[in-house]
Amino acid sequence: MSPSGTQPTKSNRLKYMIGGGLFLIALILMIISATKATAEFFMTVRELNETREDLTGQNLRVSGAVIGESITYDSAANELQFVIAHIPGKDDEIRAAGGLSFVLHQAVVDPDNPRIMVIYQGAPPDMLRDEAQAILTGTLNPKGEFLAEELLLKCPSKYEEAVPNQVEN
Amino acid sequence: MISTFGYLTLALAFLLAVYGLFAVVLGLVQKSAAWTESARLALLLIFPLVTVSLVVLTMLLVGQRFDVAYVYSVTSSEMPIYLRLTAVWGGQSGSLLFWSWLVAGFSLFFALRKWRDEPDLLPWSLLVVFLTLAFFLMVNVFMETPFERFWHMPDGSRVLSVLQPVGAWSLVPQDGQGLNPLLRHPGMIWHPPTLYLGFIGFIIPFALAVSSLASGRRDRRWVDIARPWMLIAWVFLTLGLVLGMRWAYDILGWGGYWGWDPVEIAALLPWLSATAWIHTAILQRRKNHFKRWNLVLVILTFVFVIFGTFITRSGVLSSVHAFAGSEIGLPMFIYTAFLSLGSLGLLVYRWRDLHTDYAPSFGFTKETLTLFSNLILLSILMVCFLGVIYPIISELLTDTQITVGPAWYKRITGPLLILQLFLVGICPLAGWSLTNLTRWRKHLWVLLPISLLAPLAAWFFGDVRGGLALLCMWLVSFSVGVLIADYLQGAAREKGSAGGNILSALWSPIQRNHRRYGGMLVHLGIVLLSLGIIGIEGLQQETQSTLSLGETVNLGGYSFKFEGLEHFEEADGRLVTEALLSITRDGKPIGALYPQREIYPNMGLAITQPGLRSNLAVDLYAVLIDWRPISQDEATFRVFINPLVTWLWVGTGVVTLGTVVALLPDKLRRK
Repeated sequence: MSPSGTQPTKSNRLKYMIGGGLFLIALILMIISATKATAEFFMTVRELNETREDLTGQNLRVSGAVIGESITYDSAANELQFVIAHIPGKDDEIRAAGGLSFVLHQAVVDPDNPRIMVIYQGAPPDMLRDEAQAILTGTLNPKGEFLAEELLLKCPSKYEEAVPNQVEN
Repeated sequence: MISTFGYLTLALAFLLAVYGLFAVVLGLVQKSAAWTESARLALLLIFPLVTVSLVVLTMLLVGQRFDVAYVYSVTSSEMPIYLRLTAVWGGQSGSLLFWSWLVAGFSLFFALRKWRDEPDLLPWSLLVVFLTLAFFLMVNVFMETPFERFWHMPDGSRVLSVLQPVGAWSLVPQDGQGLNPLLRHPGMIWHPPTLYLGFIGFIIPFALAVSSLASGRRDRRWVDIARPWMLIAWVFLTLGLVLGMRWAYDILGWGGYWGWDPVEIAALLPWLSATAWIHTAILQRRKNHFKRWNLVLVILTFVFVIFGTFITRSGVLSSVHAFAGSEIGLPMFIYTAFLSLGSLGLLVYRWRDLHTDYAPSFGFTKETLTLFSNLILLSILMVCFLGVIYPIISELLTDTQITVGPAWYKRITGPLLILQLFLVGICPLAGWSLTNLTRWRKHLWVLLPISLLAPLAAWFFGDVRGGLALLCMWLVSFSVGVLIADYLQGAAREKGSAGGNILSALWSPIQRNHRRYGGMLVHLGIVLLSLGIIGIEGLQQETQSTLSLGETVNLGGYSFKFEGLEHFEEADGRLVTEALLSITRDGKPIGALYPQREIYPNMGLAITQPGLRSNLAVDLYAVLIDWRPISQDEATFRVFINPLVTWLWVGTGVVTLGTVVALLPDKLRRK
């Protein structure tokens, strides 16, 4: 079965290379423009508080410990507010400091720990509670409050406890 | 003790895997078929042993043996039996055991096939399988074992151990911690196992590719043997992904059906490369070309499977799917690196041998379309991979972690997916030669106007105004038209031989070429599935409103009236609050939604269950967000109208059916 009209020749390879090359250039341009428009810089609460001015308008991602008593939700305005406290940004720092649930607990009870107010348009997620780890994406407003567009929550403490305390005698 | 027994069978399976590994290597070094056969027999024994171990774990879970740490951590006495069964894969060590069991199962079937015709492919395939089995069983035996129990030591401390330490007595907690409420969903029954089956199925094509390379073969025999394994793995992975979407859709807070979570993406990566392989494998069969490319794709597929397992289980990335921090990251990394570098090194070593002098044709042919669709699939794959590792590379290069989110992925993959949909649609128009298009000319005069009816209907009846959504709907209707016309042409050609019987004429194209028409059916499924994605991405409407008793909220022509709240307690201790929203359209009542919020008091967690009413045209979806606890006459709802979503599930069914047709035995043809 020889294809009529198209003879397999070397020049076809060239056509593929040109077609594929143009496609890849378009793809790379798309990646660059999407990155410029939407990429988020990961910062800790402390870094956010220190470099507040330079960050206005920048897409940011921040992780912190939720302070339970600060959670308020105004259902009429559909606005959720809570405060998060600083935790280290890197996993190995968290591990060195005694594990995630310990770090989260310390962050909440220590009043000198840097904190930041979070404002979110939307309902409180199911996992939002005291000492949960919140991973937020959004921007800083001029007042230094974090306007979150997305909330991701983790509650590790329950599942990290290796040996139970409750015992049957 | 029964848990010790489970552990010992697991340990025995591990020892057999190590033995098998040595026997295979000896067989290869000494070129001895006897050693290889001994290894093959060892492989046959591993599956029953791991099965016993898995059965023991299931018995422990069902029997509520809370002195076993795994049982304690993933079950509690109030959980229904089906959830206790699914708890087998509800935690790290249990799911690893389940994973090892599946690897052993696939290997068993693989070892049982007839190897007489290609004895040279067997030992190297066995080597790959044994490496994998030995690795995962090692992790299960030494690092993450589900059979550890709690013990009181004489000095008052508490330890975890499989065997009873000297002088220790057993510590039996009254109740377990219970499975994470987010996992207490029927999705937990089907989503993890199908996904795992998909992932693990790729080990067989990978083993065949490696053994073909290592034994110096240059033919396409490995492709032929690998094809059914690849299709089976592919369809399970597809099902696993879509079941995950369905689950996410049913539980609020998981971002609709697809959240661009790193672990979701990690599961999509092997799907993309496997899809590419399925298409270029056809080119290798027909034109004996793309030898290297197909090897690259299979290796990539398996490497991505292991990469996905690595990032899920090691805790390097934060994700809803991630297991709690674990120590298996480093060994997983070493294993991943070893397999990737080993297989890629082998490919480089054989690169020259696999040279072909063939230059591809260029034009409106299946070959050109396949190559471009490969380019698109691989581009999506590269973009997704880049997105997943972006935080890791940016931190290495700039010391600031930069992450990319759903907006980034949607912007880049959106156009690529539309282009891919277009290629799927026009694929039947192209033949293996250019002459095919002339055959279609007169049909296109009918198909093009008819296909415009769908976007026109969406414009006039559905009030759809988005240009992109209309374009996509046209693409869908055109593709469906072309696929049906293609099938009817096939049936018409057979009509004479079928003696005019319409039913047998309709069956005959499949009988004559089940691979082609199975593939076309899969394409039809993909097109229908895209309709669901277009609906939710492009046409979704939502609103949020706080309603007093008897008030209504209007959205998209529907009225939702708040009729009341009800509180009750389920048998397993959940406190449920259920709202009743009655729906009317043009004044006529059409049903009701019952959104719920469930509270798990002993875990301090709440779960939102949306109220859902769906048909082929539209899903009405409501979430109960908040209510006044005392007066109960005011509540806040978020209401969504998700058009066409049902097609996502219907399309997946068609994809599955198509894969089954494509897998029918070749004998059918000669009947």
